[in-house]
Amino acid sequence: MKIVVCVKQVPEITDVNVNPETGTLIREGVTSILNPFCEYALDHAARLNSAYNETEVIAITMGPPQAKSALYRCLELGADRAVLVSDRKFAGADTWATALTLSAAIRQAVPDFNLIMLGKQAIDGDTAQVGPELAEILNLPQIMYGAEMHLTPNKKRIRVKQETENGYKILEARLPVVVSASKGELIRRVPSFQDVLTARTKDLRVIAAADLDLDESELGLQGSYTQVVNVFPPAQKHGGTKLEGLEPEVAARKIAAYLREEKFI
Amino acid sequence: MHEISTQLVPFADFNKIRRVEGFDRISAEYPTYLTDESKLSPEPFDYLFFPMDEAELAAILKQMSAQKIKVTIAGARTGLVGGCVPRKGALVSLENLDRVKSITWDHKAEEWRIQCQCALDLRSLNDQIVSKNLPDVANCGDRQALDALKRFKEDPAGYFYPPDPTEMSASIGGTVATNASGARTYRYGPTRDWVRGIRVMLSNGEILSIPRGKYFASPGGEFIVFDSKGNKLSVKLPTYRMPYTKNTAGFFAAPRMDLIDLFIGSEGCLGVITEVTAALLKRDEKISLIQFLSSDEQAIELVDTLRNNERVQLDFLEFYSGNALDLLQQRQVQDPKSVDMPLIPEHAGAALFFEFSFDAMADSLDYGLLEEAINSCGASISDSWAAYENRELQRLKDFRHILPETINAIIAERKKQYPKLHKLGTDLAVPDERLRDMWRIYYDALETADLEWVAFGHIGNNHIHINIMPRNESELQSGLELYEQFAAKAVEFGGTVSAEHGIGKMKIKFLKLMYSSDHLKEMQALKLALDPSSMLNPGNIFCG
Amino acid sequence: MLKIDKNKCNACGLCETSCAFVAIAVEDDVAQVNDLCTLCGACVNVCPQNALAIKRQKVSIEELSHYNGVFIWAEYESRGETHAPKKVAYEILAQGRKLADQLGEQLSAIVLGDERLVDIDNLCHHGADRVLCCRHDLLGRYTSDGFTNVIAAVIAKEKPSIVLYGATPNGRDLAPRVAARMRLGLTADCTELGIDEHRQLVQTRPAFGGNIMATIISPYTRPQTATVRPNVFAAAEADPTRPVNIEEVPVTLTKANIRTRLIEEILLDSEEERIEEAKIIVSAGRGCQDPVTLDTVRELARKLGGVLAGSRAIVELGWIPHSLQVGQSGTTVGPELYMAIGISGAVQHVVGMSSSKKIIAINKDPNAPIFKIAELGIVGDALVILPKLIDEIERIKVRLH
Repeated sequence: MKIVVCVKQVPEITDVNVNPETGTLIREGVTSILNPFCEYALDHAARLNSAYNETEVIAITMGPPQAKSALYRCLELGADRAVLVSDRKFAGADTWATALTLSAAIRQAVPDFNLIMLGKQAIDGDTAQVGPELAEILNLPQIMYGAEMHLTPNKKRIRVKQETENGYKILEARLPVVVSASKGELIRRVPSFQDVLTARTKDLRVIAAADLDLDESELGLQGSYTQVVNVFPPAQKHGGTKLEGLEPEVAARKIAAYLREEKFI
Repeated sequence: MHEISTQLVPFADFNKIRRVEGFDRISAEYPTYLTDESKLSPEPFDYLFFPMDEAELAAILKQMSAQKIKVTIAGARTGLVGGCVPRKGALVSLENLDRVKSITWDHKAEEWRIQCQCALDLRSLNDQIVSKNLPDVANCGDRQALDALKRFKEDPAGYFYPPDPTEMSASIGGTVATNASGARTYRYGPTRDWVRGIRVMLSNGEILSIPRGKYFASPGGEFIVFDSKGNKLSVKLPTYRMPYTKNTAGFFAAPRMDLIDLFIGSEGCLGVITEVTAALLKRDEKISLIQFLSSDEQAIELVDTLRNNERVQLDFLEFYSGNALDLLQQRQVQDPKSVDMPLIPEHAGAALFFEFSFDAMADSLDYGLLEEAINSCGASISDSWAAYENRELQRLKDFRHILPETINAIIAERKKQYPKLHKLGTDLAVPDERLRDMWRIYYDALETADLEWVAFGHIGNNHIHINIMPRNESELQSGLELYEQFAAKAVEFGGTVSAEHGIGKMKIKFLKLMYSSDHLKEMQALKLALDPSSMLNPGNIFCG
Repeated sequence: MLKIDKNKCNACGLCETSCAFVAIAVEDDVAQVNDLCTLCGACVNVCPQNALAIKRQKVSIEELSHYNGVFIWAEYESRGETHAPKKVAYEILAQGRKLADQLGEQLSAIVLGDERLVDIDNLCHHGADRVLCCRHDLLGRYTSDGFTNVIAAVIAKEKPSIVLYGATPNGRDLAPRVAARMRLGLTADCTELGIDEHRQLVQTRPAFGGNIMATIISPYTRPQTATVRPNVFAAAEADPTRPVNIEEVPVTLTKANIRTRLIEEILLDSEEERIEEAKIIVSAGRGCQDPVTLDTVRELARKLGGVLAGSRAIVELGWIPHSLQVGQSGTTVGPELYMAIGISGAVQHVVGMSSSKKIIAINKDPNAPIFKIAELGIVGDALVILPKLIDEIERIKVRLH
């Protein structure tokens, strides 16, 4: 059984700060990490892997050459091999162009996949769009926000516990399926030192645009249907008003008025 | 040379200094200032001052001296031995002296040095250095400082400040006053090894500006300090030899010593450190490992093997005893979300935690020597947790924090029933060759006494913290007695009664185990030489 | 492709400082771009010499003009025996109305469901010019396949220029699938919408965890689609005089179309909410003095529909469990509202809540560092203020309903 896990390398969001003057992100000291939700997806894939014999987990990412380090992490966390889909021509891709590129890469690298998993969203884009788009392009059913999953005994269907706004649903679909993973009750894994050393010996290959069965006009910015036309910082949060010496009654009313204004009551 | 003159600071109007008066008001509105992490209760004190700079601090000291009021100094209040807990009189919080002054390249020593005020906390310090974002310097307007900052930013290497006490919210001045240590002391030494200069204010409000390498004791073991009025203070050094382990018990004393070392680790008894110039180290990519082992003995064996292997370079080498892991496992089961780590393996009977250089992007990795060392003790690297990305390193660091926090929570719970209870933590260190013996002594005594305890800490420096958690007052008593026995044994083995926490107010009787009464008198005389009315930090190191 | 006019470039380096992706730098006295460029356009805006340009494809206005009308998907939810519109449906209806008015086009609401649908006329009262009602047994509960099929079919036939969905879990499941099927531009989680001089939908949304805002357009494809963040836009007041115009749309769906099967649905009672997910947090610190005050804080949290949390100090005192600890060694939270009661704002605490959208602080100490980040700070005694605040909130709530 072949499980493809699509992952993304993202900046460490908690490190990210915005320069208040230029309104752009301060790049010093911001490290790149494997998107945490991708780690949960890998965790689920690794569990399915260990529950069944002859299962392979393949991690795949579309990114610049340094996304290799995110793939190393995938290999440390249970992937058997990895594919880096990298080419200048992919630059400027929105979620559609990304999903299209990934679908072509999957068809090329793992044509006989049984299951595709992704994290529910990337913490930089926060769109959660690539999963459903990928499912649609490959004409597969989709189940998003999976907190737990397992295969049915005949291994032909997958059952997913999907998180909803007020509880959860148990959904089932016939493989192949696209499933996106949420955190659920998972705690992010920690590889052993052995895992770290072994990861660097596993198969990691690079696919370029020329290897894919896609026209150039479908890649990168050219192939994108949305365009970012501006990037700016949100309204700055400074210390605002500090009120001293108020009677408690007055203070209470001031706070209540603020809460009302900000629509918290 | 062994003579130094003080400098004056500008005048400040004492009446304009921000303060809170009256113990009732202080304890109602500023409860966090009453104590430090030791939770020792203060003796009611009537003044809480918040000086904004050296001038205001000097004005406070002069005024308090005139009124014969004792002064206790507080930094970040993260100490563990009550160093900033007042004994009546006044408490001065230095929290507003928290600016970075400059970053400069020292050509001779070929290192970057950062100059900052005493209340800057270590975490902020490191954040600024690592991100190379130093707003205080960037906004200071000084041409030279701005040029140096520019060059620092252009330096392609990354830097950090090595001393890493577990509580990184400690102020740098506090860490210098206590010669703080952390896990990295194993490779990089304690704070002392990284201090290149200090400004210290004496009880008379005058400043000594001391760079390292300029003032040395006379052959007769003396320093002379000239104050602004032309008075000559003769400072005679104690004649004891210090233990050759990591040590924070008693004043630093050695023949022909550097004057700066007298103040480092003096726990506020000799003066108030207002500014520190510290050296920085180039940052390497590292990987941290928690290696699980089957028993405490196996851990000690691995420590020996790793220490004896010169080609394996470790930054730190820390230990978690079997019962410490048990406690963590219990916490994981009760409250899995509070421990953001996978389950500790069932079979784990102890753990070592160490760190070494690692290149994440290298295509091939060779750690054969390390693997061999671990295998030779019967352990395996598949039985470990590894982390090299910043956030994963932070995760392991947070994991280390959970043990002392869990212990604190347990004690807090027990205190509800027995208010007199408190945690008992040892801070003893012995020379390398005595590690096994000391462990046997701890283990046998504690098991025989049937107390609840865990052990963890800087095993690389033979500095293991034994934490006893008494369940009632009689256990507290037995624990205290055992602690004294342990301390005496450590001294007998050539070690120290306080390897990193300092003496403060809580370990004074242990100091007596380590130094003869003559030597203690020499220390007291030293204090009186620099603080004639014994105004500063009453109760630290000496009684009264 | 980012085009750099070497003649115009004066190597001032402003582009370099504005680039979030380390993609452009001044080398050999001219700006040079590398592979990391995402074509976001930040440098183009900043260049004082107009030396930078991004060539973007233009689609003919004539083709685009065949698409007309603003559509919103009015998501329904189960209310006992019936299905009624979700709150977000009214929010995007109000936004849709504004956009439709600006364009001079019609606003339609699409509703999918079975015979349990109610309040359809309400959608017209809240601004829809008509409701396209798609009823079918198989639409009784949300499914990706069922709803994608129907919405795609309606859009293909009706050719709207804009389609909006609420960015609810279902909305975020559905919208990308429809977009992929029909090859449409889709922007997620918008917090602002507008129309520009070319009659294009201008979509603004947060990215990088809210650290930055991005403005996006879908120039070549129609309809332009977007999911809209709930609780950002206000619903309009109902106008019962507005005409009700409901069209029943015939739906073709078979069981085979729907490839996921619902085995079980479990609804959870308002359980102990996880603080990481709470939208409103009322947090207590050492300044609360004692467990009695803590109860008042808890009550305040309840009144606001939020959760109680606290600083390390009170966790160590045993007043609250560790699961409610906010800070360096506790949980990091980023709620819409964070009320810090008797919390000094030490760095270890702030690091766990500084990304909260709105922060209110009450503390006796005017110099407490928490005031540096609180939008509204009150220097005072929480013990006395909180009970009065609770009363005041109650009074306002009663007035509103």
